[in-house]
Amino acid sequence: MTKQKTGAEPVNRRRNGSGDPLGTNSEIGRKLKQYYDELVSDEVPDRFAQLLSQLEQAEPLQKKG
Amino acid sequence: MAVSPAFKTELLATIPNLRAFAVSLTQSADKADDLVQETLVKAWDKHESFQMGTNLKAWLFTILRNEFYSQMRKRGREVQDSDGVMTERLAVHPSQHGMLDLKDFRGALEQLPEDQREAIILIGASGFSYEEAAEICGCAVGTIKSRVSRARNRLQEILDISGEAEFGPDAISAQVMGSNAA
Repeated sequence: MTKQKTGAEPVNRRRNGSGDPLGTNSEIGRKLKQYYDELVSDEVPDRFAQLLSQLEQAEPLQKKG
Repeated sequence: MAVSPAFKTELLATIPNLRAFAVSLTQSADKADDLVQETLVKAWDKHESFQMGTNLKAWLFTILRNEFYSQMRKRGREVQDSDGVMTERLAVHPSQHGMLDLKDFRGALEQLPEDQREAIILIGASGFSYEEAAEICGCAVGTIKSRVSRARNRLQEILDISGEAEFGPDAISAQVMGSNAA
């Protein structure tokens, strides 16, 4: 209830006021996350783990003695 | 210096996100995976330039993005909205239930220019701050902000989200659908 007399508190509404145009209130924001989450949860093919293992094994060879 | 196991573990953990970003950029699962592969190799080669403890995800996204644009340049830049895609999808209407279908959304996203698409993905989906996104894209924070807002407006336009059913011939069909839905 204590209402401060603030002449100079400029950016209070910066956080959420007009803010977050892609937040959960926005249909676009929700769809965007849905679209992306679906991609993220897609199963990762083995080729990437294999690739990293190959890179790891190649590593010592690259070093100069 | 050898690559640390921690680095490798973190690389692996970031792959799903890299793939999602890559698909968003390339709009193709195959191209996306090639891009991710290229990114991993690059990241491995220059792992020494990464400081453990800083944001690996942002670092990897930067590499992936640079790789994407350099590949596009090499290919003489395939025009993304060539042929029928653009005209065919100019207007996407919300599906039967009046709810926005994910497929429609994907189609709308495809219509955005790359710079807008990547900006809205980075901010709205990948969870980066405007500052991080600016760094990833090598541009000013204000530029990211304006791209995001243009992307959002464009998507709303394409998907007919705001002001739908208020005027025009669509009003009637929208009412019919509305009365049927729940």
